[in-house]
This record gives sequence, structure tokens and C-alpha cells, in this order.
Amino acid sequence: MTTPHPAITDLTTHLLTPQTKRIPLPVAAIRVLLSTIRRSRAETMMGLQAELREASDVMVDFAKRGGPVETTNDDGIKVTRYLLANRSHTALTSGTHLFLKYVTRASLETPDFTLCKSQVLERGTRFAEFSLAARDRIASTASNFIREGSTILTHGRSSVVEALLLRAATVEKKRFKVIVLEGRPDAGGAKSAKTYDAAGIPTVLILDSAMGYIAERTRIDMVLVGAEGVAENGGVVNKVGTFALGIVAKELGVPFYVAAESYKFTRMFPLNNADLPEVKSEEEDGAGLRLIKFLDTLSWSGDGGGKSSEAQDGSSNNSGSGGGLEKYLVDLPKSISVENPPCDFTPAKYITLLFTDLGVLTPSAVSDELIRLYQ
Amino acid sequence: MTSDTAAPSNLEDPSNVRRWLQTNHPKQFALLDNFEIELRLGRFSSTRDASKPGAHQGSASSRYQYGRDRRLITTRTVELVRAIIGPTRWKTAAQLLTLLRGLGNELHAAGGYREPAIGNVLRRIMYAVRDEADHVVPSQSSGVDDMEKIDELTEHVSSKLRVSTGKELSLASMLWAHPQHVTKHSRQPSGDYNDRLRSDSMGSESGIDCWDANGSNIYPPHFYSRRDDLRQSVMEAIQEMMSELEDLHKNINEQATQHIHAGEIILTYALSKTVELFLKAAAAKKRKFQVIVCEGAPHFGGHQMAKSLAEAGIDTTVIHDAATFAIMARVNKVLLPAHAVLANGGLIAPSGSNMVALAAKQNSVPVVTVAGMFKLCPMYPHEGQNTLNDLISPSSILDYSLMGDPVLSEVELVNPVHDYIPPQLIDLHVTNIGGFQPSYIYRLLAEYYHSDDWEAFE
Repeated sequence: MTTPHPAITDLTTHLLTPQTKRIPLPVAAIRVLLSTIRRSRAETMMGLQAELREASDVMVDFAKRGGPVETTNDDGIKVTRYLLANRSHTALTSGTHLFLKYVTRASLETPDFTLCKSQVLERGTRFAEFSLAARDRIASTASNFIREGSTILTHGRSSVVEALLLRAATVEKKRFKVIVLEGRPDAGGAKSAKTYDAAGIPTVLILDSAMGYIAERTRIDMVLVGAEGVAENGGVVNKVGTFALGIVAKELGVPFYVAAESYKFTRMFPLNNADLPEVKSEEEDGAGLRLIKFLDTLSWSGDGGGKSSEAQDGSSNNSGSGGGLEKYLVDLPKSISVENPPCDFTPAKYITLLFTDLGVLTPSAVSDELIRLYQ
Repeated sequence: MTSDTAAPSNLEDPSNVRRWLQTNHPKQFALLDNFEIELRLGRFSSTRDASKPGAHQGSASSRYQYGRDRRLITTRTVELVRAIIGPTRWKTAAQLLTLLRGLGNELHAAGGYREPAIGNVLRRIMYAVRDEADHVVPSQSSGVDDMEKIDELTEHVSSKLRVSTGKELSLASMLWAHPQHVTKHSRQPSGDYNDRLRSDSMGSESGIDCWDANGSNIYPPHFYSRRDDLRQSVMEAIQEMMSELEDLHKNINEQATQHIHAGEIILTYALSKTVELFLKAAAAKKRKFQVIVCEGAPHFGGHQMAKSLAEAGIDTTVIHDAATFAIMARVNKVLLPAHAVLANGGLIAPSGSNMVALAAKQNSVPVVTVAGMFKLCPMYPHEGQNTLNDLISPSSILDYSLMGDPVLSEVELVNPVHDYIPPQLIDLHVTNIGGFQPSYIYRLLAEYYHSDDWEAFE
């Protein structure tokens, strides 16, 4: 195997290091590009830009493949981990595009190459500081929307949504209830639920498929989700299920809010889910992206030991090495194809408002902001 | 906020404003007091404009009379602000902004919350102050460090590229890593959570903390330097605002014939001066159309409205509110009055209007609102139907004499004043500066108010 592109090495280090793991993808991408500049031996602006474009393309391609990394597991066997399997590369693209635009602008501003390069680096480090400041700004402008005694339905694991809800609960001392969708397949919602619970927010965790039921029955007051990327038409790309949630909210007349930092605004104009850049969801190499496991969790009673329901479980005949879970896997024949989209696109008509660090925006304001930048 | 009790004469905290005026400017203080009393008593509809033709008499008894001339209240507010900030001794833009915010809080507490327009004009004046203060950055700032130089250079270049990278937040200003993107939101209650975030994000950054160096500086540094020309330019801005208010109806009514066509049937709800004048303006231009007026129970402003329209020779029909749906099928256009236009393009209108808007949607009848720009409120309907709403005495629903009835006295009566109408039910807002779709309102907000002034008065 050839040595990976240094940008990929940087990105994987970012994604694997516990301290930097939860840095938003666009910011991580910008950091990688900054170190690309530091490494660069280009002598001209054109050369530098070409290197940056290459690094950007390589990263996007890496994300499209789900972010495969070779690691060794506990038993010392080489396995492939997919770091970005449940992410959309749009998040990455928005970061790199923004940065490339910035470099172009900087080169117009400062024709001298070395001066420009050092200035880009100096200012670039500020970029990296954005994410927390932006998140904080969103939290303080949008927490007004969280009303005392309300019930909020949320989906996916978004650091912005978490910051917003935690602020409302801990700083502003509002009492409200959060209902979190589980967030298959990475249980992002369940992880978020722990955060809310630790902050003392009454939290209910439900299956993704219960969204319609719970939204109608508990009379939720609002839906609040994060975003991987925000399209020019005001629609958002987010964890799969957001689209369905948008439809549910619209049908029930519940406001649907999206919290996202403005660096997630992307110059793309999808009209529906078919327009999303293709995600290789399947059959790259059998095990590869068929990451999703279909598990009969109801029969599995937790401690891995076989229980009475085991006998009914005709399909799981691969009770193998003893981890316990395997025998509850539904053994699927090859003829059933599995599709596992990590993200979906929710068109602007389902979105009431976007909470961004540029303020609370209507979906139509997104294109305005993008045009002002990329005109 | 630390209120300095030792020196009541300083203008550093909005909550000091009342005391500051009292000690230093008793005359202006008396003006403010008078205004507040009138505001509390809801007297504005019957004071100065009683002599004006077209003023609605006999309605002054009710505090919530639709068609009460909001423009008058707005004008009086601007006059008051002019009278207060004109002669008083503030020195810097920051002090003036503090004074204005303090005034806003005062008026809000005195019942201004019922009239969002009061807060709106104050915010507009604050925007004018910021604008003027930013206009010429004082030259005495000799010790500019490199970072600032770069900022200036950036601004220079990007103005060439016609990108606004000013002090407003935008993607472009973020691209240039302007300090406002990295520094914290200026006004937040301090708490552990924030402090932690603050220390995290500020990190070891240098050169960016000029904005928020000691926490108390909520305005950019050059707002704290003395500006003698500021008074003149702010007074000019206020004068402009006054003339805009004077021409308000003229500018709205110029558009009347664009929206009201010959032979159309227009439905309107209850009483509104703006709508009334709008319809009359169309009639004055020889348009023949029919108006259906919903009576607007329980205040029945529609009756007055119908009378006034009929006097102007307009073919007018009054229906009871419950007949709205039945009549909607034959209506060509719905014209709604506004109490306030919200940041998302939604509308606060007389209670019952939401029903009219829904009936219009069901029948695909366009809904047009008529409102002066001073009704544009930089706030979102956080509270749904409770937004900017008020529950008032049920005397208009039920006669008090009936309350002696032991059964009736157990009955609860709810009498909300307003309705919130979501933006998707509205097709067009007609204002004194033109017609706008609800989805465009956010841009008008950016033109009229500074985002740091959005914060509600309290």
C-alpha cells in the first residue's frame, strides 16, 4: 500500500485523538489545510493554491469513502475502521471551500508571497478558534426560543444543539424536557442523551422509528437539530432521519429549528436527496461499508448469555466466537441489499428558522450570506 | 452590570439613566415623567390628535382601541427622545447609547411593551448613533498595533471587492477573521459554563481582546472617545426619522392602486387607521371596489371602520366575524392591519386575524398587510400566540352587571388583544418603503437596527 497523503494522516490523527475528536469537521479540515501550508515548499501563490486544492480533494475523497483507516484490534488482527462512515463530506467541503476562498482573497490583498503566506497562517489560527465562539454565540442568541416547560425533540449528536440546550438549562435555569432519538447506527442520540441527563435535563430516549408516535402523542413544542452542512437554498444536510423528522414536524405544525455554525454554509444547491453528492453506501468490499448491523436487541438480554428467546431466533445461526452479540445478528442472505445512507437532505420548506452565529436566519437568508462571500 | 451608587451622575449603566436625568437635567426629567404618565394612562389617542380630522372620537375610554393612531405615539416618542438627548450633557457615543437604552427600559416599564413601535424607534435612533460614531473614526488613535493595521488594510481591499466586512457579522467578515467572530457575545449572564467556554475559546489569542478587554466595554473602543460633532449628526438623523413618519401614510398610500384593482372585493378585519387610509386612497383615485369589513368582536372596531369607509363613498359591507369563512370564497384579497411585524416575517394583528388568514389560505386568497416600517420589530415569536400579546379586562365580552350571577361568576373569561400570524400565511407586507415578502424581512432588519440593539428593553 502506498503511503497516504499527508493531509489524510493529519485528518486521521485529528479524528483519532481524544482531545480533537469532537472538533467540528469543517474546522478540522481548515486545520489540516493550515498544516499543509506550513509543510508546503511552493514558491508561488499558484503553487500553494494547487497544493491546497489537492489536499482538499484528497480529504473529500477520503470522506466519501467513509474514512477508512487500517488499525489493529485487541487481538492484533488488522481491521479497517471507518472514521467518517456516518458523516457527510459536505461538512468537510464547506470548511475547505471557505479556506480556499480566503487564501485567494489574501493573495489579492498581499501580492508578496512570503508575507501573504505568513499572514494566512497567522489569521488561519484564528479560524480554528471560531468553533467555540460561534457555538457560544448561537447558544446565547437561540436559547430564547426554548420556553419554560416546553418539550423539545432532537435528533443526532450535535455539539451546537448540546451547547444550546445546556446553556438554557444550566445558565438560564429553564425547565424543559428533551426527547432524543436513538440515532442509529452510531447511537449518537443516546450519547447526547447522557450529556443532557448529566446536566439535569429530563431526558427521554426513543427509537428512531418512534419519531412520529412521540411527536404526536407528547405534543412536542419544537424540533431542534444540528447540521452537517447548510445548502445555499437553506436546506440542510444532517444525520439520516432528519428529513423524516422535518416531514413529521410540518405535518404536525411544530416549528423545526436547525442550529448550525455559519462555516457550514456550502455552495451547493440540492433540490432533493438524489442531488446529494453520492455516498458509497454499499458493497465496496462486503464487510466494508456494510457497517450497519441488524440486531435483535429485544432477544438479547444484555449480559451476552443465551436466554429463552434464543430458540425462536432461527435466523441467527452464526453463534460463533462467544462475544455473545453475534447470535442475535439477523443473518441476512446476500440477495438482500442493504443501504445505509449516513445523511439526508431536508429541503428549506421544512425548516422554520436557522440558528447561526450570524444571527437567527430564515432559510432564504443563507444564499444571501453565501452570495455576499462568493460573489 | 455594576451600578455605581456613589456617583449617580455617570452614564455607564442604563439603570442609572433616571437618576442621572433627575440630578442633572430636571427639565428633561419632567418631560420623561409626563410622557410616562400619559403612556400609562393610554391617553395618546385623545390628546393632540383629537382635533385632527378623522380621529376616532368616543373611543378614548378603551385602552385597546384599534385604529388608535400608533403613528402619533411613535412621533411623540421621537419628539421626546429629541427633547431629551438634544440639550443633555452626554459626551461619547457610548454614553448616548446607554442613555437611549435606559430610556427604552423606562418607557418599556411604563407600558411601552404594549406599543412595540416605541422600542423600535429607540433602536433605530441607536442604530443612527452607531452609524455616525463609526462614520469617522477619530484620528487620535495613534497607537495602532499591527493587527489593526491589517484589519484596516483588509477593510480597504474588501471594500474594493465590494464585500461588506464591516462590523456586522457575515460570512465574509468571518473569512477575514474579524475579531467579532472570535470574541464572545458581549451580553451574557456570567456563569461557570460561560466562563469555561470563554477561557477555552480565548485561549492564548492576542490582539483580539481589544473588543472585550475588561468585560464592561460593550461597545467598540472608539465609541468611548469624545465626539463633539456627534450631537449634530444624530439630531439630523432624528429629523430624518420625523419626516419619514410625517410622510408615512402618503408613502404607503401611493401604492394603493397597485394592490387594489377595479371590481375587486377586499376583506379587512376590525379597525385600522393605516388600512382605512389605504382604502380611501384607492377610492380617491377613482377605483371602484367593494370592501367587506369583519366587525372585530368584542371591540367592534369594524363598525367604525365601515362607517368611515362608507362616508368616503366606498361600497362597504359589514359581516360578523364568524361569517369570515363563508364569505372568503368570493373575496379577492385580504388586507390586514399590523400591531407589529416580526423578524421572521410573521405578524401581530388584532385577535381574530389569524382565523381570517387561515380562511384566506384555505381559499388561496392573497393576504396583504399594511404597516409603517416603525412596526418592524427585531424579535422572533418565541412564545407563539403569546408573543407581544396581552390579556385585558373581559368587560368588553361580558357586562359586569351579570357577574352577580353565581354561576357566571365561576366562568373564566379570556380576552386576548392580539393574534400571531405565521409568515407562511402572509403574501406581502406593504410598507412605506415598498412591498416585501415575509422572507425578505430579515434584510430590512439588518438595515434598520444594529444586531447588538436587538435585545429587548426591560
